[in-house]
Amino acid sequence: MLSEDLLLFAADASRLMLESGGETYRAEYIAMGIIISQGGTEAECFATSTGLMLSFSGEDGKVRAVVRRIKRHGMNLEKVYRIDNMVRHLLLGDIDIEEAARQLDEVERMRDRPVWIRMIASAFGAGWFSLLFKGKTVDALTAAAMGALLSILIYACQRLKLPGFLSSFTGGAFAALASLGAAYAGLPINTDAVIIGVIMLLVPGVAITNAIRDTIAGDLIAGLARGVDAVITAAAISAGAGGAYALWQLLLSGGQA
Amino acid sequence: MNPQLSGIFSQLKEPLFAGLATSAFSVLFGLHSADVILASGGSALGWAVLQAMPQSGSPAFATFFAALAAGLYAEIAARVRRRPATLYMIASIIPLVPGGGMYYTMLSSLEGSTYRSVELGLSTIMTAFAIAAGLAISNVLARMVFSSTIYSILKKRKIFQKPDKL
Repeated sequence: MLSEDLLLFAADASRLMLESGGETYRAEYIAMGIIISQGGTEAECFATSTGLMLSFSGEDGKVRAVVRRIKRHGMNLEKVYRIDNMVRHLLLGDIDIEEAARQLDEVERMRDRPVWIRMIASAFGAGWFSLLFKGKTVDALTAAAMGALLSILIYACQRLKLPGFLSSFTGGAFAALASLGAAYAGLPINTDAVIIGVIMLLVPGVAITNAIRDTIAGDLIAGLARGVDAVITAAAISAGAGGAYALWQLLLSGGQA
Repeated sequence: MNPQLSGIFSQLKEPLFAGLATSAFSVLFGLHSADVILASGGSALGWAVLQAMPQSGSPAFATFFAALAAGLYAEIAARVRRRPATLYMIASIIPLVPGGGMYYTMLSSLEGSTYRSVELGLSTIMTAFAIAAGLAISNVLARMVFSSTIYSILKKRKIFQKPDKL
């Protein structure tokens, strides 16, 4: 494989790892591992959650570098496993670089779970969380129904390519409005237990924990970037929910007056 | 049912809910069959530890031990399944992570209650830090016992001096 192709291949593997929710240090090591396995030297990679830089010196002694910008942020742990496994086999010499490229291509084209599975999973997640946070059965069932609807809403936002802030805002507003509406319609629910169950589908709890994990591991910039992302997401959700509350109260008082 | 038995059941109820919630979330996070079950076991274990810790102490302290237990479980599961531990770690900490805390922090700052927001925000960061520290320590402990293939190969070829942490 040509040195340029190797560089692009390693950068792509690293980018895919970051896009699938892998840790920053793992993204750096797989890029360096791929290059080392093919005899490159002086490999260095600097990754954050928004982009990565990679450079190495080829067999002809020339230094090559590439920058990749990362725009998508998802969570697909199966992809993390596949890429990690591919690089491990490459380093052990079990597979050659062509096979590795084929496997990476396969991972890149892996589809996310279909919408109906995501819907069912969101319903169960919201329902069980509502029970965990001291909700009753009726709260859990309401939260499950809303969780399913919320997953469709999030999917629609993704299809429309709305920015992350806006889809979190919409999601928060939906969760608050739907549970207030359900309580108004006469369902005997505890709105707090319902909202927290539904909101768990949106909140960046894992993101803030990963931000601190990155920071502890010494990836300070990556940790800061992830932390800011998590804070902004939380702000968007609560702005949506808070706005929906205010609007609801305005509507109710308007009705009475 | 005799009262002792129902007492045990009520103790097991919350870890069961945590495990089931995690199984749903790990499907959303792209895990497959056996991994989903393993990850749910980890989160149930974490929640059981959290529940067993004394309620009087600091919540971050209890969360630390819960994350430590979940992290060690994830490391063992990772060795058994020959997959990166992060698969099981990320899934098993889902019930522990302070997602609700972040939401309430931002909500109270929007409502104008600054003190409450600062209070909640600090406790959120403490919780997140406790989880991260628990996972980091479990990772170091696991590294003392097992050797992780990818990094040990890279180390053997004298490419990295790092990482001993996380």
